[in-house]
Amino acid sequence: MSIKRADKKKEKKELIMQKALELFASKGFYSTTIPDIALSLKMSVGNIYNYFKSKDILAKEIIKYISIYLGNKLKDINEKDISTQEKTRQIVEVYFGVALLKPEMIDYFLRIYLSNREVFQDGCEGMICVNEFVTEIMIYFEEGVECGDLRDQDFFSAFGLFMGYLGGMVFLKGENILPKKIDEYVDDISINIYKALRT
Amino acid sequence: MIKLIEKIEGEAKLNFSFEKGLIDFVEIEFLSTRNIEKILQNKNALDALVITPRVCGICNHAHLMASVQALESCYEELELSNRAKITRELTLNFEIIHNHFKWFYLTIMPLMGYKQYLLKATQPSQLMAKAIATIAGQYPHTSYSIIGGVVSDIGMMDLIKVENYIDKTLKFFEQNLVHAKSDEFLECNNSNKLLSKEGDLPNLVNKIKDNGWSNVGKSYDRFIAFGENSYFKKGKSIKTRLTTNIYIDKVQEASNINSYAKNVLYKERYYEVGPLSRAMINKTPLIKDAHRKYGDSILSRILARVCEIPQLLNHSKKLIKQLDLSEPSYIKPKIDISDITALGSSAIEASRGFSKSDDRIREYSISRTEL
Amino acid sequence: MLSKKLKILWLTAITCNGNTHSFLNYPHLDIFMDTFEFIYHPSIDSAYTLNDIINKEIACDILIIEGSISTEYIKADAPIVDIINKYASKVQKIVTVGTCASFGGMFRESDYKDTTGLHFDKERPTSLFEHIKEKTISLSGCPVHPDIIANTLYSIEKKRAIELDSLLRPKEFFAYTVHNGCTRNEYFEYKIDNHQFGKKEGCMFYDHGCHAPYTHGSCNKILWNEVNSKTRTGLSCMGCTEPTFPKGDFFHTKKNMGIPQYLPFGVAKRTYLTLAGITKAFHIKRLEEDLFDD
Repeated sequence: MSIKRADKKKEKKELIMQKALELFASKGFYSTTIPDIALSLKMSVGNIYNYFKSKDILAKEIIKYISIYLGNKLKDINEKDISTQEKTRQIVEVYFGVALLKPEMIDYFLRIYLSNREVFQDGCEGMICVNEFVTEIMIYFEEGVECGDLRDQDFFSAFGLFMGYLGGMVFLKGENILPKKIDEYVDDISINIYKALRT
Repeated sequence: MIKLIEKIEGEAKLNFSFEKGLIDFVEIEFLSTRNIEKILQNKNALDALVITPRVCGICNHAHLMASVQALESCYEELELSNRAKITRELTLNFEIIHNHFKWFYLTIMPLMGYKQYLLKATQPSQLMAKAIATIAGQYPHTSYSIIGGVVSDIGMMDLIKVENYIDKTLKFFEQNLVHAKSDEFLECNNSNKLLSKEGDLPNLVNKIKDNGWSNVGKSYDRFIAFGENSYFKKGKSIKTRLTTNIYIDKVQEASNINSYAKNVLYKERYYEVGPLSRAMINKTPLIKDAHRKYGDSILSRILARVCEIPQLLNHSKKLIKQLDLSEPSYIKPKIDISDITALGSSAIEASRGFSKSDDRIREYSISRTEL
Repeated sequence: MLSKKLKILWLTAITCNGNTHSFLNYPHLDIFMDTFEFIYHPSIDSAYTLNDIINKEIACDILIIEGSISTEYIKADAPIVDIINKYASKVQKIVTVGTCASFGGMFRESDYKDTTGLHFDKERPTSLFEHIKEKTISLSGCPVHPDIIANTLYSIEKKRAIELDSLLRPKEFFAYTVHNGCTRNEYFEYKIDNHQFGKKEGCMFYDHGCHAPYTHGSCNKILWNEVNSKTRTGLSCMGCTEPTFPKGDFFHTKKNMGIPQYLPFGVAKRTYLTLAGITKAFHIKRLEEDLFDD
C-alpha cells in the first residue's frame, strides 16, 4: 500500500473512532450499533467492517487510540526541562483539557473501558491497551524519584492516587456536580497531588 | 642484613640480626597494605561479601566465609540449613586444597632447589577451582555465601561432577605426591613409612633430612586453631598438651611499627596457626609422629600441609553423602541486616592460618595470622 | 641462542593477585609456556628477581600490569611509576589485567594517594601515562577471565589487530553483556520478578541487584572455569568489568517507584517500560512455578 493510501486509511479509521466515541457517550456503549455508526458517517455497514472487523475490535482500538493520544501529550511534558511540580501541573492540565474538549474520550475510558472489562478481556489483558499512557506516568514517577522530588514508594500507591483523583474529578464533572468548569480546578488538584507525592 | 622475599602475593623484607655468626632474630616487614578495612567503612553490610574476598587472590573464599559468618553472628536467631552449612564447608575445603597444591609445587619445591613444576600445581588446583565454580559460579572471587545460606540450588548431577573432580584430584595426589593409595596414606601413623615411599612429597622431605635441615624452622612449639567445622577442631596445643577451651576475644592485635601487618597474639603469647596446628589439635596420627621426631620444624609443617589434601578430599566425599538436596539452600532471615546494629565476629580456618573478622556494621577489622 | 618466546613482565602494583590466580586457571598453560616466557611473574619462576628487573636492563616484549597505581606506591624500593615507565618504552604492548589496573577498581579507595588505573580513574581519562596509551589494552574484570588474558597475549604474538572499545577493552570479549547467555534469561524476558535466593529459577535483575544487562563481559558466553558463571548459579553480577566497580549496594536493585534505575544497555526507558507493561499483563505458568514441577 502506498504511503498516501495508508495515511488515508488511518484518517478514515480515526474518523470512525471519533464518531463512535461520540455515539457511545450520548447513546451508551451497548445501545450503539455498527449500523448506527455507519449511518452517522454516511458510510455503508460493509465499509465500516473493512476498517474494524467487529464492535469488540473497534472498542479495543479506540482505547489504544486514546492511550496513544494521551501518551503523546504526556511524553511531550516528560521531555521538557521543567520541575517535577510543573510537570505535575501540566499533566493535570492535559487530562482536564481533554476532559473539556473531547469529553467523549475520557467518558469512554471511565464509563466503558473500566466498567465493561468483559469486552476487553481478550487482547487487552492487564494494562497493555493503555500502555503508552501508563508508560509516560511511569516515567514521570521514576524521574521524579530519581531527582529526589518525589517520595519513593510502591508504584501502584502513587498511580492510584494520581489516576483515582483525576478520574474522580472527571466523574463528578460527568454527573454535572462541579460548580466550576473542570479546567478551573487544575491549580488546586495539581498542588494537592504534588504535595501528596513529594519528598 | 635485609633480604627481600618475593612472590608471596607481594613482597616482604626480612631483617636478620646475627649473634656469633648465627641468626638470632628475624623481623618481618610487610611493605604494603591494601586497606580493605578502610574500604569497607560506611558501606552496606552485604557489600562486605563482595569487598572482603578482594583482600586476597588465593584465599578469597576463606574471607567470604569469615565475612558471612561474622555478619550472621550479629543475629540473635538465624536459621541455616545443613545443606547450606555443608555446601560452604565443601567449597572452603576445595580452596584450602587448591592452595596446598600451589604452595607445594610453586613455592616449597623450588625453595628446596627443585625445578618449579607449574603444571603439577595448576592441574589439581584447576580441578578444585572447577569444583568450587560448579557450586559457587566462579573461582576466584565469588560471593555465593550470603546471610541465611547460599545462593546456589545445585542438583544431583552437579554433585556427581563435584565428586568426579574430587576423585580426579585424589588420583593426582596418588600419582604424584605420594605413590600410594590415599586410604593407606590416611591410615598411616608412621612418618618413616611415608618417607620410604616414592613421590614428590617423600622425595622433598628426604632431601630436607639429607641436607640436615630437619630442625630448621622451629618456633615456639605452640599451636592454635579457632575455625571450627565438621573437620577442624578449635583448641590450642602447647607441644602436645591440648586445651579446647579457648576464647576468640583473647586474640589480640598489636600494631607493628615496622610493618603494615599486625602481630597477632593469644593471651599475649605467639602461637602458630595453619595446617600443622590443625593437625596437632586434631591429633592426626601421622603428624603426631612427625612432631615427635622432628618437632615443629619445617619438615612437620610440610607434611601437615600436604597431608591435609587427602584428608580434606576424603572428608568432602563424606560431606557430600550427607548433603540433603531436599533442604533449602537459603532461608531468608526474619530481620534484614540493615535493621541491626551489632558487633559480630567469626573465625575460619584458611589455607595458611585463620581469618578472624570483627564486624561492626560501620567498621570491619580483619586479623589474619599466617605462617 | 636467543629464545624465540615472547618475553612478558607481569608487574604487580596494589593488588590482591586475583588476576594472577585467575590466570593460573588457564587450561592450556602447557602450550602457553611454549610460546611465552615470563621475565618476572608473581608466582611462576622466572630467570630474574625483582631487583634485576628494577635495576638492570632486561629485554621485554609485553608489560602486564596488575593492580591499581599510585605515585606513592613503592615496590622493592622503587616507585611503581618508574618501573612502569622504564618498561613501557621498551615493550610492544602494555596490558592492564583486572579492573584495578584498568580503572582503579577495588583499591582505588585504599590509603595510597591518588590511586587509579593506568589510563583511567573510573571513567575519567588520566594523563600520567598518556604517552603510552596507544600501546595499551585494558582487560577489566575482578578478576579478569583467564581466556581473555591468554587470548589477548596470543593475538599480540600473532600480530593480529585487536579492535578496542573506548575504554581500550577488546570488543571481542567486551562488546557482549554478561546477560548474554545467562540460563535465567527467560525470567528476564517475561519480567517474572519473583526471584528468591537459593532457587534455580528466577532472575536477579528485578530485586537482587544483578548488573548483567548493563555490564560488558563474556562471563555467560565463555563461562568461568569452563563450567559455570555467577548468574547461572544464582549470584548477581556485580558489574566488575566496569569503571564504576565497586558500585556498592550489591544484592539490591535500586528502584524508583518500582522501576529499576539502571536499565539494559542501549534500551530506552520508554521501550523498556512498554515491554515491561505488556509482559506483566500475562501469566506464564511454567515460569512462575518451580522448574521441576510437573
